[in-house]
Amino acid sequence: MKNRPLQRLFSASIALFLGVALASAVQAANTAGTNDEGLGRLHATRGVQCAGCHGNVKKPQAVPMEQCLTCHGDTKALAAKTASVKPTNPHESRHYGTEADCNLCHHQHRKSENFCLDCHPRFDFKVK
Amino acid sequence: MMNKDRPQEENAMDPYTRDTLAHGLSRRHFLTRSAAGAAGVGMLALGGAAAEAANPAADKSADFARSSDGGASLSFLPKPKPIADKDIKETLTFDVVVVGAGASGVPAALAAAENGASVAVIQKHPMPVSQGNTGSGIDLASSDKAGVEALVARLISDSAHRCNPALIRQWAYNSGEAVRWVIDRAKQGGAQVVDQGSAPQFAIRKVNGYTLNYVTSFFGPKPYTTGDGMRALAKVAEKAGVRFFFRMPAVQLVQSKSGEVLGVIAKGRDGKYTRFLAKKGVILATGDYQNNKAMCDYFIPDLKHLGRKQMDRTGDGFALAYWAGGVIEPIGHTKMLHDFDAGPASMCDMPFLAVNRAGQRFVNETVEMSLLNNYLRDAKDAGHYCQVFDSNYMTQAASWPGKLVPPEGLKNYMPDDPGPKKGVFESQVNTHVADTLEELARKLEIDPANFVATVRRYNEVVASGKDSDFGKPADRLIPVEKPPFYGIHRRVRVSAICSGVLVDANHQALDAEGKPIKGLYLIGNLGGGFYGGVDYPLTVFGLSLGRCYTFGYLAGRHVAKQ
Repeated sequence: MKNRPLQRLFSASIALFLGVALASAVQAANTAGTNDEGLGRLHATRGVQCAGCHGNVKKPQAVPMEQCLTCHGDTKALAAKTASVKPTNPHESRHYGTEADCNLCHHQHRKSENFCLDCHPRFDFKVK
Repeated sequence: MMNKDRPQEENAMDPYTRDTLAHGLSRRHFLTRSAAGAAGVGMLALGGAAAEAANPAADKSADFARSSDGGASLSFLPKPKPIADKDIKETLTFDVVVVGAGASGVPAALAAAENGASVAVIQKHPMPVSQGNTGSGIDLASSDKAGVEALVARLISDSAHRCNPALIRQWAYNSGEAVRWVIDRAKQGGAQVVDQGSAPQFAIRKVNGYTLNYVTSFFGPKPYTTGDGMRALAKVAEKAGVRFFFRMPAVQLVQSKSGEVLGVIAKGRDGKYTRFLAKKGVILATGDYQNNKAMCDYFIPDLKHLGRKQMDRTGDGFALAYWAGGVIEPIGHTKMLHDFDAGPASMCDMPFLAVNRAGQRFVNETVEMSLLNNYLRDAKDAGHYCQVFDSNYMTQAASWPGKLVPPEGLKNYMPDDPGPKKGVFESQVNTHVADTLEELARKLEIDPANFVATVRRYNEVVASGKDSDFGKPADRLIPVEKPPFYGIHRRVRVSAICSGVLVDANHQALDAEGKPIKGLYLIGNLGGGFYGGVDYPLTVFGLSLGRCYTFGYLAGRHVAKQ
């Protein structure tokens, strides 16, 4: 059984924990995310530092979705890019329009997941 | 609670309210019990931070008492520190502030606006959300008064006599007007909605011999739902002056020292807080808590392995009302689990052979789909079961209650059939056909060997004319022998949890003394007292949405007139 808000909280706390650990131990090296299973690794290799998402590294903050959009742009434009994905556009749903929280599927410090699958067994999207 | 000091007016209370005050969960109960020093295992201690503040000497082990299975405590609802004035970027003032834009919140907002109030709706989703298609009321003009009372009695019985009869009557005597109003206003917003009248309510046209007629609103067909309907209704509300604030979860109530609720603080997408002051009242319409694991483990552990249909129903309003002094109905909440989508809804209660995930029969199949979750609560079954029949079903089951869909129509529910789908959730259809039982078992994802043995045994029972295994009536026994074979793989999941927080007939929250909390109203699935049984009854199709519309309509009007 899924429990989404808790999952989100959990992932936020992992992020927070990692942030604190990294801030105290390997702050200067900017190795944040290089051991991640999720997108954190990709972000790190592209030069995004902890503070880029979490604000002050000494007191890292949970990351609101708005932070994702400052780099990735408007959700309508994002959804347009995947308009032809079958069986349905993963970025536009009857539940959220184009405004589903990125972190429902795309995780930074753990493996990403296909959030739709639990209720829609044939929405077999590959999630990066 | 049961002492001689009980005020006189409490003695005159209805049994539902009296018992909810006695056994429900409120912060005062924690404070009283903790202060009494009866720090024993099994005692309820509510709220971590509050617990320590109230009774610093208390034994830590008593702070978080456990539920009977040891898995839950109310430590998940500690009262947060008030948000400081300096952290609030903006204060807005309205007559009425509604939290939650669903099937009760949107009607409440519109009703308040139509009665002259300035109204804000705060919604954590990016848009109004709701689910289901049917919402019902009674057409009083064409119903016998005795019929209305007979249906009220029937619904009270459906709720195991544990509901508040005053609220059932309020639905019964106001729902026709409210549902008609929702249909009319939603149409103005361009909604796809019709009044199906009494047609869907064929089993309750007469109750105890008395005549009844209904107003049955239908937002559909699928994939169109009441969610789309409420989005259309919200447009009408906006035209009537209601202001909507989306992506803004309510995080705290603003409360005076005396306990009066003055407003709501909500968090914006940018992480900043806005304070919404409400001159006449705050109406919480935040829905149930099915996605809040801690609350479910505590109040309704039956759901541990059963899937959820909704998202983001985290019980926000339960926490807000409880922090404000409200009383949550005691453990043993009413649940609603259905699957109308895998196969035809009209065949869900037809008593075909049913098997669990092991491929074995598990029930007298005359038990309704809405109750089957009780047999399928374990981790393996997790709500899954299959209805099975052979190619003679159109003739052999013709006299059963319900409506058979012919083989051509069943293709609409078959994921393996390439044809176009209509009026269904395409991603959730799960009906199959196969020439052999083994192949059908594979498609239904059940053990083929067990399944073949089950069918063989079932056919023996059918041939004997007596169900010596489960006692199903003889006229509900038909064999599974002529290919092709059909199976509907249903998976019941949680549509809603429909127990809530104690309210009076004005939908105003009551505190642990049974006194109304000034300025605080609770509607929809957050409002308590309308149910009480183990499962939501399917006696009136669309009772749940009908109740949401009706109480939204009445509460919006009532608060606007304060």
